[in-house]
Amino acid sequence: MILSLVKADFLKIKRKGMWLLCLIGPFGVVALQMVNYGVRKDYLFDQMDDRWLYYILNINSFTPLAIVLGIVILTSFMASIEDETNAWKQLVALPVSKREVYLSKFTVVSCVLFLSSVLLFLFMSGYGLTLGLGADIPYLRLMEYSFLPFFAAFPVLGLQLWVATVSKNQAIPVTLGVVGVILAYSAPLLPDWVIWKWPALSNDWDHSYINALLGIGFGLVLYLLGMIDFKRRDVK
Amino acid sequence: MEYIVETKHLTKSFGKEKAVSNLEMKIPKGEIYGFLGPNGAGKTTTIRMLLGLMRPTSGSVQLFGKDMKNNRIEILKNVGSLVENPSYYPHLTAKENLEASRKILNVPKKRIDEVLQQVRLHEVANKKVKGFSLGMKQRLGIAAAMLHQPELLILDEPTNGLDPSGIIEMRQLIQSLPEEYGMTVLISSHLLSEIDQMATRVGVVSKGKMIFQDSIETMRKFAQASIQVKVNDNEAAWRSLLANGQKADLEKESVTLQAEDDEQVAASIRYLVQLGFSIYRVQEEKRSLENIFLEMTKEEQAG
Repeated sequence: MILSLVKADFLKIKRKGMWLLCLIGPFGVVALQMVNYGVRKDYLFDQMDDRWLYYILNINSFTPLAIVLGIVILTSFMASIEDETNAWKQLVALPVSKREVYLSKFTVVSCVLFLSSVLLFLFMSGYGLTLGLGADIPYLRLMEYSFLPFFAAFPVLGLQLWVATVSKNQAIPVTLGVVGVILAYSAPLLPDWVIWKWPALSNDWDHSYINALLGIGFGLVLYLLGMIDFKRRDVK
Repeated sequence: MEYIVETKHLTKSFGKEKAVSNLEMKIPKGEIYGFLGPNGAGKTTTIRMLLGLMRPTSGSVQLFGKDMKNNRIEILKNVGSLVENPSYYPHLTAKENLEASRKILNVPKKRIDEVLQQVRLHEVANKKVKGFSLGMKQRLGIAAAMLHQPELLILDEPTNGLDPSGIIEMRQLIQSLPEEYGMTVLISSHLLSEIDQMATRVGVVSKGKMIFQDSIETMRKFAQASIQVKVNDNEAAWRSLLANGQKADLEKESVTLQAEDDEQVAASIRYLVQLGFSIYRVQEEKRSLENIFLEMTKEEQAG
């Protein structure tokens, strides 16, 4: 049941440019470092003994922005596909549970974002290798900074999808999203409990996996709240 | 009698306002049920509750003898619907639009071609719906509703936006459904003439209340003709007729006979001629269903 819904949702995002977005996000993040390293490679190499780590941290200063922005666009997109001709009523009048309709949207956005993370890993490793950052390639660290921000961003995903699906006007989730991007940008200034800070993977304990675990946990809570609210509402 | 649709004390309030109040709808199997009412009478709200899109404030909806509240998914497997304006995904082709529903309904792929053929969209199957006319979108919506050969088809204003030939085609298609597939059809409309030509049963709703529900024949009985007679002295003629035992009403410029059959009309006219009245005109005035419908909804509004 849920599988056919997900398949149908993947069909619906055809020709909407979502796959392009999925590619542009990680590419953009790495491209910024291409400019950075292209212009002042020697200077950057002098900044830290561990050149790989410094490179990864540079990349990671933009990853959270890309992820939060990506979530805002993707969730709003998913909702607007159904909003456009009010296809919600047609979808919900099919023999499907409203919970699964919501889960399906969540799954599709997660899949696209996860694919972006895989691409980020590939681009980040690939460009890193061409820079000659050292023979010792820190694969684990590369994976950490490719995939953990995705998990740490789950609460943002849960919140944005919730607001996007129940809002009649997509200006509301987009406004919330813009605020979110600004918060993600100001991550170093924020206390640890602000969810938009989590994709930056920094916290007082200095363990990045804490952000990912917190993200999954709190993301699940927000997902459930959104799903319950979506189910409760009348379809217009 | 076996009812496919049965609502009991169905009520839906939006804030203080009751959009639907205490509505009892009964649709027997195999009927084409015309759901009539002026704009804003609560037709669409009722249909949304029948489909489980909205929760009733109170009362219950039973489809196929099962309660909507607890068997929504099971019930909807046998229901096809088109609610208000057609919904579609403009960036997808007609075929892809149906495919999105087909994946969920889990019916064979060949059904897509079959329904597209039925609504005559097979030639534009691979064109994006964005460029379709309203009538084509409407037909696509009907195709989607029939995809899984449902036992109950609920169509809200299905002929909206169709051109005359499209309306005729749609009418023929809908009329063939009960016979060919044993479907029961619910069609809502604010146009009586449309319902008059398709429906076998009628429900009239006004201000959220069901004010008439019976077979179309019963409704037509209200439409009995009356005979208008225009003579040189209407009042005198009217008195003479009454004296003769013929029911009649005096109008401004004519006398209206309430005759049961043709012979009675003939006898009354003969009588008037014998009395020496000059008869200018004898004409039949049919009360159209339209008039009855208007009267019904007016009474409701007055009371």
